[in-house]
Amino acid sequence: MKKVDRLGWAVGFSLTTYGIRVGVRSNDPSGLERICDRLPSEWKESSLSVVDRLYSIIIGGQGQRNFRRFNLLYGDHVRLARSVEADDVFDTFESDLRLTVAEFARHRVFVHAGVVGWKGRAIIIPGRSYSGKSTLIAELVRAGATYYSDEYAVFDSQGRVHPFKKALELRSAGEVRQTRVEVEQLGGQSGEGPLPVQLVVVTQFKDGARWRPRRLSGGPGILQLFSHTVSARRSPERALTALQNLAQTAEFLRGPRGEASEIARTILKRAEQKK
Amino acid sequence: MKLSNDERPLARKENLVIKETADELLIYDRERDTAHCLNQTAALVWRYCDGKRNVGAITDRISKDLHTPVDENIVWCAVEQLGRDRLLEERLVPPPQIAGLTRRQMIRALGVAAVVAVPVVTSIVAPTPAQAVSCLPDGDSCSSPALCCSNLCSAGTCGT
Repeated sequence: MKKVDRLGWAVGFSLTTYGIRVGVRSNDPSGLERICDRLPSEWKESSLSVVDRLYSIIIGGQGQRNFRRFNLLYGDHVRLARSVEADDVFDTFESDLRLTVAEFARHRVFVHAGVVGWKGRAIIIPGRSYSGKSTLIAELVRAGATYYSDEYAVFDSQGRVHPFKKALELRSAGEVRQTRVEVEQLGGQSGEGPLPVQLVVVTQFKDGARWRPRRLSGGPGILQLFSHTVSARRSPERALTALQNLAQTAEFLRGPRGEASEIARTILKRAEQKK
Repeated sequence: MKLSNDERPLARKENLVIKETADELLIYDRERDTAHCLNQTAALVWRYCDGKRNVGAITDRISKDLHTPVDENIVWCAVEQLGRDRLLEERLVPPPQIAGLTRRQMIRALGVAAVVAVPVVTSIVAPTPAQAVSCLPDGDSCSSPALCCSNLCSAGTCGT
């Protein structure tokens, strides 16, 4: 038995999300309440006692003589976070759980990308952090597109993209920390069902750049998405099958862009054209 | 590496995931965690690398398939790239006129005269889960350097 298992755990439960069995336990019932706010939208409680990943959260609280105790988070038996700020621990829990789900999801392929829907079809914008992905997604939503995700494009085996419900996380110029913004605050709405992909836009903000994208053929386009696929190494066959299927309907564009507000409508117009 | 014009290139088949798109071929190498995209010409050459045909015979076969004469140097160019990317069982040494040329030089040498597209193999290293997703800003809690934008994770905090 590992040390962490010997600690006293007051509460716990298990859940399934995207086919992954997850256990959560805490020394304090208030810890579990806050955990529920950080779970992916698609989860349900389960009665399973054997799980794929177990999170243990210790809420530090106030110690003797006004000392604040550390809050701790363990993923299985590895410590993931240690902070006097409980929010830091919950942030780490949320991002680690998302990554675990993205890597191990049984029937979905997670690509790090923003997604919007437009006239019954999806526009995908893959990219790493600081590429301006969320900013562009926000502008597309302001221009009338339906919000699907600003973090993961979730594909089924047929290459259709599903919503990954969460608030947008936007960064102001020069800021490192992100601010959560609900899609309704942008005057938009969230999408519901799966969509076939119409357009994949591989782009990054570059000061002063003019939007003159180059069209990519299917193979290099798929490689672009594959380079942002979380389960690329774990299940390449499944990932490539989904991407191969989406390439049948999708057009791939690549090029640097200037301000997101200047190209949002151009992208939507392009998405209306047939492949 | 083998040094003979009569060597018969043999495509590697083990530990590969192979997917076709319209004219191209996607190959994932499970041993090296690399993904390759072969354009039409490179894909044709790879398919005909059966260990029975030499480069001359592969050239004839592709010429028939494409209904147009194909320069043998184009096939050598593909064989050279496929060997370099470990998509052949054994890497062959190309003839002197091809050896040592970069792809750009090859395109310059063949491009204008070539009726078929110059073979191109595009490759990427498959990302680890952490590489595929967002990085964490300085000051955030981290469990490994790969999670941080700065690639520094010290005492559980990015960027210190």
